[in-house]
Amino acid sequence: MPTRFGLWFGFLLALMTLGGLNFNNNMTLMLGFLLAAIAQLTTLLAYRNMVGIQVDAIRARPVFAEESACFKVLLKNPEERNRFAIQAESPEAVDCADIEAQNTQQLILPQITLQRGWLKMEPFRIENRYPLGLFRAWSVIIPGAQCLVYPKPALSPPPLPKTGRGEFGAAHRGEGDHFHGLREFQPGDPLRRIAWRTSARHQKLYSRVMESPSEEACELNWYLLGGGDTEEKLSILTAWILRAERMQIPYSLEMPGAALPADLGEDHRDSCLEILALHKS
Amino acid sequence: MNDPGRKTILWVIATLTLAMLPQVASMPLPVLLATVLPLLWRTGSEFNNWKPLPALIRHGATALGLVTLFMSYGDLSGRRAAVSLLTVMLALKMIECYRIRDARLVVSFSLFLCATQFLFAQGILMPVYGGATVILALVTLTQLQRSEAWSHQENPPVVKASLWAELGFSFRLLALAVPVGLAFFVLFPRLASPLWGIPETTLDSKSGLSDSMSPGSIQSLFMDDSPAFRAKFSGPVPSAENLYWRGPVFWRFDGETWKGGFYGRNIETADQPEPTEGAWDYTVQLEPNERKWLFALDYPASVPPDTRLTMDFQLIRRQPVIQLFQYGIISNPDFIDTPELRGPLLLQALDFPENRNPRTRRLVENWRRETPGDPEFVNRVLRYFNQEPFHYSLEAPLLGTDSVDDFLFDTRTGFCEHYASTFAVMMRMAGIPTRIVTGYQGGWYSELGKYVLVRQSDAHAWTEVWFPERGWTRVDPTAAVSPLRVQQGSLSALSSPRHLLDYAWLRGLRNSADVVRQRWNDWVIEYGAHRQAELFAPLGLDHMSPAMLVTILFFVIAVVSAILFPIVLRIKGPGRKDPVQRAWQKFLKRLARVGFESLPSDGAIELAAAASIRLPADSAAIHQIAQIYTRSRYSAHPPPFSDLKQAVDKFRPNKNTA
Repeated sequence: MPTRFGLWFGFLLALMTLGGLNFNNNMTLMLGFLLAAIAQLTTLLAYRNMVGIQVDAIRARPVFAEESACFKVLLKNPEERNRFAIQAESPEAVDCADIEAQNTQQLILPQITLQRGWLKMEPFRIENRYPLGLFRAWSVIIPGAQCLVYPKPALSPPPLPKTGRGEFGAAHRGEGDHFHGLREFQPGDPLRRIAWRTSARHQKLYSRVMESPSEEACELNWYLLGGGDTEEKLSILTAWILRAERMQIPYSLEMPGAALPADLGEDHRDSCLEILALHKS
Repeated sequence: MNDPGRKTILWVIATLTLAMLPQVASMPLPVLLATVLPLLWRTGSEFNNWKPLPALIRHGATALGLVTLFMSYGDLSGRRAAVSLLTVMLALKMIECYRIRDARLVVSFSLFLCATQFLFAQGILMPVYGGATVILALVTLTQLQRSEAWSHQENPPVVKASLWAELGFSFRLLALAVPVGLAFFVLFPRLASPLWGIPETTLDSKSGLSDSMSPGSIQSLFMDDSPAFRAKFSGPVPSAENLYWRGPVFWRFDGETWKGGFYGRNIETADQPEPTEGAWDYTVQLEPNERKWLFALDYPASVPPDTRLTMDFQLIRRQPVIQLFQYGIISNPDFIDTPELRGPLLLQALDFPENRNPRTRRLVENWRRETPGDPEFVNRVLRYFNQEPFHYSLEAPLLGTDSVDDFLFDTRTGFCEHYASTFAVMMRMAGIPTRIVTGYQGGWYSELGKYVLVRQSDAHAWTEVWFPERGWTRVDPTAAVSPLRVQQGSLSALSSPRHLLDYAWLRGLRNSADVVRQRWNDWVIEYGAHRQAELFAPLGLDHMSPAMLVTILFFVIAVVSAILFPIVLRIKGPGRKDPVQRAWQKFLKRLARVGFESLPSDGAIELAAAASIRLPADSAAIHQIAQIYTRSRYSAHPPPFSDLKQAVDKFRPNKNTA
């Protein structure tokens, strides 16, 4: 497909050729024909620049509603040649990259999210106008990729409920900022926990075991929020989860049809948020 | 946003500059300034980060440029002026060229500008100019495309191509386009007549013979070795003494300058020569000279289209020759021109300034008493030129008011126009009707191309004397002084070289090299409906309709494409292959040769581990290579490429141990 510049170029070529014919000027004609032949070649080059590229994977990290979901499109060039200026274009964004021989490149297509739940990725185009920008070769990709959208956190939620149950009062090991003791380094321990001085003395890695003073824990309970708008309640719960996580207070979640015991950490947070995101009203 | 970047803008400027070069060379100084200044400003602004000019100044500059154009050319309808307008506008456009769109506009118009230049010159160097412009434009467009693709992002592109890679890519693109372009060129149906009128304009400086003759006017032509025309005879080529190519004819003399006569110029001949048996049949390929005369041997028995044959047998075209012009013509040398001369023509052929040249007049009157017969008198004067110490030389001293007296009695040194003028005046004083004919004499026969090449330096002037019943008879007084001039050409007759590089062997070389130009003219510039038909004649296809041509064209393109496409699909874009990757591929190939197939999903280290198990003997080398590769790829301080290359080159896995 010719681009707008391609159409203009074609018009100019037609003018050139017509003038050459009229004035019986063979060199002008020859120039016109040569440029036309070059233009024709570039369609082939644009096609060749695209053919064989594989869309390896499309991924997106969960986001909160009204944030942009960043779909990462992995393009793989399995062949022995470079690909130039491959563009991914969705209705909302464009991204572009060269893909070197036998290499993979990631193009990012943000997409606006409006409501919680699974967001399907919009169809997008992989295209290129290589090498002269006269023609565009493209293919439309209808992705099956989805992005999980958490509810939007409430801007000014009520204070955290202090009605903890279960491990109330028990120190929560592993996380927190109170020093508890040392233990031998195990894979998976965060680097910042390594007790460098001790390790240096013993020729062995030690990591510190931390604990948080969890005299308190909170119980986030759907039923205790009382009546009101479902979405509003969900966004209050979301805001609470984030706040509890920030304040390092273990929290449990109880929803209609799902319940999680009190805990802390990213995994726990993500599972809680997922439950909220997928809550059926 | 949408900024093409400095490098690309400089490429745009380079493309435009190259494209406008031939046009700029023909511009008057003010227009030249209006073209060059905006470009200089834009280049400077790119380097010094000057701010874009405010709109008021830009519009002011545009208005100023237009006014300059108008003042210099008078009106803008001429072809040169129109192209200058385009050039100046493009140069001014550069001032506000900050976006990819504008840059593309300038580049595409540069190509258009290049195409217009072929209207003015189609010499053998023009394809070089055209090719260079196309290559620059292709590089620029490629860069513009990259800028456009990345215009939404901040990071620059990853694969950076070198200048040579970019030029090479454009060159290959051009080379691959040539076959299809040629097919179009050969087969595209041509127009027999133009769609719209070609404006009658003269383009650049006129060259060749002029419409008047004063001492020195032909002398300047002697210095000019450029071809005037080429003639191809269908029969044997006439001998050098017969090769008098007739051009402007002069009747009136005011003591200094010879001019054409009103009758001679405007009245068409009443009896045209017949193309009889002994006539010469030939084709002339006239180089553009911006003048209307066509040259032919005496006496033209056929008249090319749009041309009239005057009563003194000048061939005058309706339009000046601004493009290579080819015409076929037949000349009948045995024709008797005007057996009866009467009235105003006779008076004009006898007229001379009464109050000048008293000494010559006395001499002629004395001789006339002694020799009353016209032919005898002509011979006596010729004998005089031959026996007295007259010289044929380009360094002719200046002549005074009594130019004929001065020449005949004092300086006695000059060339054809001096002899022709002096002789004609003497004849008229003796009452014998005479006129002067200018044109070219002789020419160089190219064995290779089978044509006669006539250069500007072959320009000549001779006289025609009228005898009752015999009519106008050619008399060449220069031949009496220097027979060599007529037999071997003007340059052989000179005793000293005209300029520093004027050697006979060099001239010979240039004459031989002219074949290339002739072929170029013949096959490229003159290619048209006629040649197209000729091309298919051997196939038994005499008359090709445009529809048939187009059918053949598509067929040829299909065949050419079938051959070309696989080649195109293999050419690489601008950019270098990663040397690390290349060495790694080689390593994998060597492993494959001994039967180890790697999985594409394997990383370098996994692959090395797997390979070591299969090839325990080479385990150390495999691990070393994998390690260097990993470091080259992912380390912040990668080792030099040569490390990996050396290790891979040394790696020779042994199949037997596998």
